[in-house]
Amino acid sequence: MNVDELVRDALREQAAELAAPGPGFADRVLAVRRRRRTRRLASVVAATTAVVAVAVGVPLLDAGKEDVRPAAVLEGNGISAHPDQSPPRDLIAAGRSVLAAYYTAEPVTRSDDRAVLTRTYWLLDPGTGRYEKDDRWSFVAVAPGARTAAVLERELPARRIGILDLATGRVDRWIPVDRGVGGLAFSRDGGRLVATTYGAHPDLMVRMKAGAGEGFPDDEVWVPQFGGTSSRSGFYVLDVADGRGAWSPVAKRRDVNGRQDFAFSRDGRLVYSQVIGGSDGLQQFHDLAGKEVAAPADERHLRSDVGARLSPDGSLAALGLTAEAKDKSWSEIRDPRTGEEVARVRGAQLLAWVDDRRLIAWERAPGSQEYRPRLVLVTIGSEKVVPLSGVREPDEAFETVEWEPVFVERRA
Amino acid sequence: MDAEAQESFREFVANRSSALLKTAVLLSGGDRHAGEDLLQNALIKAAGRWHRIDEPEAYVRQILYRQQIGRWRLKWRARELSVAEPPDVGADGEASAAAELRLLMRGALARLTARQRTVLVLRYFEDLPEAEVARILGCSVGTVRSTTHRSLARLRALAPELRALGPAGTERQPSRDYSPVEVRS
Repeated sequence: MNVDELVRDALREQAAELAAPGPGFADRVLAVRRRRRTRRLASVVAATTAVVAVAVGVPLLDAGKEDVRPAAVLEGNGISAHPDQSPPRDLIAAGRSVLAAYYTAEPVTRSDDRAVLTRTYWLLDPGTGRYEKDDRWSFVAVAPGARTAAVLERELPARRIGILDLATGRVDRWIPVDRGVGGLAFSRDGGRLVATTYGAHPDLMVRMKAGAGEGFPDDEVWVPQFGGTSSRSGFYVLDVADGRGAWSPVAKRRDVNGRQDFAFSRDGRLVYSQVIGGSDGLQQFHDLAGKEVAAPADERHLRSDVGARLSPDGSLAALGLTAEAKDKSWSEIRDPRTGEEVARVRGAQLLAWVDDRRLIAWERAPGSQEYRPRLVLVTIGSEKVVPLSGVREPDEAFETVEWEPVFVERRA
Repeated sequence: MDAEAQESFREFVANRSSALLKTAVLLSGGDRHAGEDLLQNALIKAAGRWHRIDEPEAYVRQILYRQQIGRWRLKWRARELSVAEPPDVGADGEASAAAELRLLMRGALARLTARQRTVLVLRYFEDLPEAEVARILGCSVGTVRSTTHRSLARLRALAPELRALGPAGTERQPSRDYSPVEVRS
């Protein structure tokens, strides 16, 4: 059998399994069309208003200038943008969200057929407002407020968790753990940590070769280990102040990636992680004993791959990419209770809420067919897009991560 | 859109949306929601000029394909996570091995770039000749050929189990032979 025959069979089989769209599809299309036409008119008005609001209300720090006020780095709520910097060197923040860190990742070879996708972090120094490389850590979770972080040392799974003071760069104390930890996330109030445990390194990659004589430049690549092989075993919930807590096992699943870290639900009473399935961003919740449970009412329409999740007041849910034009894209905002779309906001990927109407997103830079994203500030009801970072140029290397932002809540 | 146009639009959607959705979902790497969005956008565009379109299906398909190649890399990060399950080839005999191999292929297809996947869907699902694919995508036949070649090579790079398969007959005409293919594990 030839590879093209298998492609043909796989596509036909997949097509045969697809159910037809529901009976009201045509009416849905016509309704969306009407809504968009109305909104296009409304957004012209809104955009004009937004420009005024930005100009009057929010001081925009000059890009790359020397006027970053060290003491005020984490205290303001204005916009600090550096549209000439990618990756960023100086503070990026807007409203309640601050870019607390970013990381890159690339495969580091361990043996002929094994590598580890290894991260390098740049952490915001709250004193200077600059991002400084700190290559001591394989994983960093920044606490709300961006003054402390929980860190794991280079070798994973790790047997202790460090609590790092971001101002001094020193680990204040270590929390020892019996089971190896590979990922960390803070609760919303910053008081607790969920630490995901793994039996083996969660970022293992395997080498894959194209057929001999293909003449294909990527004929040898590192790719993450395929699904069904995750060594994830469970999670600790730990009190950050005294390091105490308990470990809970979770059932093995085939539909998770090698690294599939847990995070807290909004109220901190459950944890969730992504599962791989029929659509992007599926999530599975667990109670703190590790048992699989249904999603909380206001989080059941969220996507695990959209970082912004619920707005600060909890009334809106940030969802995924829903429409695109040549060099623009829009993501969905839904009512978290009903799951109904209430608005579309600019942005290909919604990362963090700035306030109850504005978000930070990846959005494609204009002028190219190719997806060249930059961090932007977007506003519900407006087409206005304020660049916050430079363009992250797509890296053609298959296996590297260019730079991934880590946003946390800024607190006075 | 007047009432008559709306009625004919509804009729078209009722008759053709099932087939169009299949293409849209395949173009989206098997993501049904993304496929529905893609089709919805194409239909909205078609509705806007409904009375000026002679062949609605050809028009909608053209929008689907072109929209899709404009999505180059857009959902790459999300896609990267949607990996295929590893096949237990040989566990339950040949039939299940073939089914596993097709599942593995699905996972690999989902990880191609939109451009690569579009070319493969046009060539191997729609069974279009290279020249027709080139016309639809607005590129040269040579580009179609090289993209097809590179896409197949990448599929093999993504799933080493596929390396056992023979190379593609690059000059072969698309076939309409739907008979089951024998698989040796």
